[in-house]
Amino acid sequence: MADPPPSTAGARFVDPQVLGRIGNLKLLARNVVDGFINGLHKAPYLGVSVDFAEHRGYMPGDDIRFIDWRVFARTDRFYVKQFEADTNANFSVLFDISRSMSFASRGISKLDYGRYLAGCLTYFATTQRDRVGIVTFDDDIVTRVPPSAKHLDVVLHTLDRIVAGRPGAFEKPLFRMTEFFKRRGILLLISDFYDEPETIVNQLKPLSYGGNDLIVFHVLDPAEVDFPYAEAGNFRDLETGQRMPVVPEKLREQYRALIAEHIERLSKLCAENKIDYAFFNTAQPMDHGLFRFLAMREKLNRVR
Amino acid sequence: MGLLAPLFLLGLATIAVPVILHMIQRERKDEVEFPSLMFLRKVPYRSFRRQRIRHWFLLLLRCAALLLLLFAFARPFIRAAALAAVTDGAREVVVLLDRSYSMSFGDRWEDAQALATDTIDALDPGDRGTVILFDGGAQTGPRSTTDRVSLRNLVSNAEVGSGVTRYGPALKLAEGIFEASDLPRLEAVLISDFQRAGVESAVGVRFPQGTVLTPVQVGEDEATETNVSVAGVLFEREYFSGRERIQVAARLTNRGPTAIEGLGATLEMEGREIETLTAELPAAGSTTIDFAPVTLGDAQIFGAVRIAPDALPVDDIFHFVVSPGQVVTVLVVGGTAAQDDANLFLTRALGIGSEPAFDVRSTTLQSFSAADLADRQVVVLNDTRPPSGAAGEALEAFVEAGGGLLVVSGERTAWPQDDPGLLPGRVGVPADRDGRGGSLGFVDYSHPVFEVFSAPRSGDVTTARFFRFRPVEPTPEATVVARFDDGNPALLERRIGAGRVLLWASTIDTFWNDFAKKPVYLPFVHRMVQHLADYSPPTPWFLAGQVLNLAEQEVSLGEGGTAAAEYVVMSPTGERLPVAVGERAGFIDLTEQGIYEVHDANAADQRPLILAVNVDLAEADLSTVDPEELASMVTGRAGGDRTAEGGPARVIPAADLERRQSVWWYLLVAAALLFVAETLVSNRLSRTVLSTE
Repeated sequence: MADPPPSTAGARFVDPQVLGRIGNLKLLARNVVDGFINGLHKAPYLGVSVDFAEHRGYMPGDDIRFIDWRVFARTDRFYVKQFEADTNANFSVLFDISRSMSFASRGISKLDYGRYLAGCLTYFATTQRDRVGIVTFDDDIVTRVPPSAKHLDVVLHTLDRIVAGRPGAFEKPLFRMTEFFKRRGILLLISDFYDEPETIVNQLKPLSYGGNDLIVFHVLDPAEVDFPYAEAGNFRDLETGQRMPVVPEKLREQYRALIAEHIERLSKLCAENKIDYAFFNTAQPMDHGLFRFLAMREKLNRVR
Repeated sequence: MGLLAPLFLLGLATIAVPVILHMIQRERKDEVEFPSLMFLRKVPYRSFRRQRIRHWFLLLLRCAALLLLLFAFARPFIRAAALAAVTDGAREVVVLLDRSYSMSFGDRWEDAQALATDTIDALDPGDRGTVILFDGGAQTGPRSTTDRVSLRNLVSNAEVGSGVTRYGPALKLAEGIFEASDLPRLEAVLISDFQRAGVESAVGVRFPQGTVLTPVQVGEDEATETNVSVAGVLFEREYFSGRERIQVAARLTNRGPTAIEGLGATLEMEGREIETLTAELPAAGSTTIDFAPVTLGDAQIFGAVRIAPDALPVDDIFHFVVSPGQVVTVLVVGGTAAQDDANLFLTRALGIGSEPAFDVRSTTLQSFSAADLADRQVVVLNDTRPPSGAAGEALEAFVEAGGGLLVVSGERTAWPQDDPGLLPGRVGVPADRDGRGGSLGFVDYSHPVFEVFSAPRSGDVTTARFFRFRPVEPTPEATVVARFDDGNPALLERRIGAGRVLLWASTIDTFWNDFAKKPVYLPFVHRMVQHLADYSPPTPWFLAGQVLNLAEQEVSLGEGGTAAAEYVVMSPTGERLPVAVGERAGFIDLTEQGIYEVHDANAADQRPLILAVNVDLAEADLSTVDPEELASMVTGRAGGDRTAEGGPARVIPAADLERRQSVWWYLLVAAALLFVAETLVSNRLSRTVLSTE
């Protein structure tokens, strides 16, 4: 399990327990992001340029509008003028709202934690002039907000009213999503990933084929990680409703080993497939997620 | 080590409960919702039954607490300590010393004191002793003590009392001392003359098992000696030349086997010898001697009849107090002077009697006035109309103030129908009884008027025939004392203020009935008038041991009563006992034989109230009981069986051992402490579990 990065000075704004008391998601996101930005000593990731970058030899099929005629006049060769890439990217949140996400052992549920993460990053993306959108899904797509520069409020509203009520699955909704994200952008998938890592990664691969940069936020409750239960009893699966008599003390160590293995495999498979993976414990502050996002955003800036 | 209730150890099975509880898994009653059972299913299934005990410390605490609790209920005791005590052989010795007045016979008391002192001196260093002095009651000094000096002093300072012998209280006291004792050998030494009279009180006393009672009889060889006692006195009152005289008759009893001749008996009044007579007494018989009449003064005087002292001098004197004869003043009001016949039987009946004497004055209704009531205690309205005007009001006030009124019905009785006035009922017109007439059907024998007839063959009031009477309708406040056989009230009573009113529904002469010709008529009339006058005869003597309530001596103490008064009682031996008589009754314990004087502390010049106290002559009967009989009755063993002496000491019953050691109490406290610790530990564990969840 990856340790979270050290908190910044603005981390006090991103404690999930504190955020839970803020009813307004936009206000919450602004507080978090502003606090986070103010805490940085410098902002190397800000100030996206649209300046000229370089020339490249004309290749058949290039748009003749980009041929630099001045260079042609001097060199009598066709060169295509290349500018800095359009840094306004599409930022879409793919939010798993299956029933298991509603689990909360202490105060804040995984759904809320994901909601705050998504809200904050969406707001942050807006400040970067990115287009923002959201897709919520369980075993199918529930809501889809296409990326747009004007969709911040819609996204936040969508986040605000999501309800985790049905069992989840990855295959169908992710397959359908591949059709939505033709244009290159950043896709942030928030889920608890209760499926085999291989299955999950196989479903994610098509999303990254279109040049999308995929970030995976694996959100789990501390109880799911540590399994601290003491008394034996019937455990009921939130999604399937199945029951199982469990003696926690007997199972605890094996469970922990299994969940750790699951996280490690998922992380490894994601890395192999160039998917940025991050693990979140809902007991931890959110700045971890913001750093992840900024790192990804920087990487995108460098890519032409 | 033993157990008094070993069956409680069956409860040891409950130890299994905490063990099982610690082994089995406590399951949640509610379900645990979990996001996904995906990983839980992957864990290979094993038996969920807990096979390992957790929280060992808590389990041990619980088991230990339960064990202690069970042992406490089983009431354990240590037998080893008892055995040690038995072999130790220390004795609990109780010396019971009879000091009833029969012990003053000859040298009995000195012998008894010497025997008691010898017993105390014979105590071993480890022994504990108690001395109980008893007559009618029992007294003890220091209990179960090793202080020989105080025990000896108690014996040497003790004196013969005036009480009778009663073994019961003393033996009961000794029983209590033995039961409280933890010494292995219990011994009692009863020093007495063993009079038979006191044996009955010992019924029900039973010493603890193994107790040895050694009876020591004193005066055994004196039992056949002569004992003459003054058994009592009788007074005969008479008036001579306007002065009241009293003739004292003394009854002398000889309990010895030989006749006595020429026994001198002296009458003393106020400490002066008045007359000495000589009496002849048959063997085991009695005689009465009459002294010459003595003229009485206005105040009470004390006197005594004394015979020559014999071996038992206490019963050779008999004290008494003679009060001046009480006179009840009666006013009989008739209809007219011509009706003297109607008063005949009444006045004649009241003319007889000396205790009290009746001072009767007759008058007619016409001449009746308020002045007539001045010195009267009782007024009889005999077959007449009620007095009217000032006389009527005066009569009402007279009754209110405490006077008595007897209203006798007859032909001329004419009280207003609508207003009974002083009467306890509305008097109707005369009614006749046919044939042989009626009789009294119901009589309240608990009422002072008829109390004298309550004993069998003490007079039959139902033999009188009533031919005519006046039906009376009782008022709510009236009490019907007697009824005719047809249910009509015959005698009714009503209290008005401090006085009383009696209404007789027929005549009190022979006109309407023949009651006046019956033997019961005289006591009936006397009792009616005494009751109306609230008369109570003075007590000439009391018995030693009686407790006197001074508040009840109002008559003797005279006018003013005893309310909030303070008295000093001087006993025959000169001891001064202050007694306050107020809201609380002032009691005097009359323990000594002789004359008590009760002085009013606030009126030093007033003549004191004198009380005579005599010993109970039951004690003068010196017949004895076999001491072994008494011993076996108390110890439950055959007479003379004192094998415990020097032999194996008594086996202390397990229940006694357990009660003395009370180990259960300590076990219970320890169990309680463990339960407290258990609560603390389990709370701490629960908090830990909760915090991890």
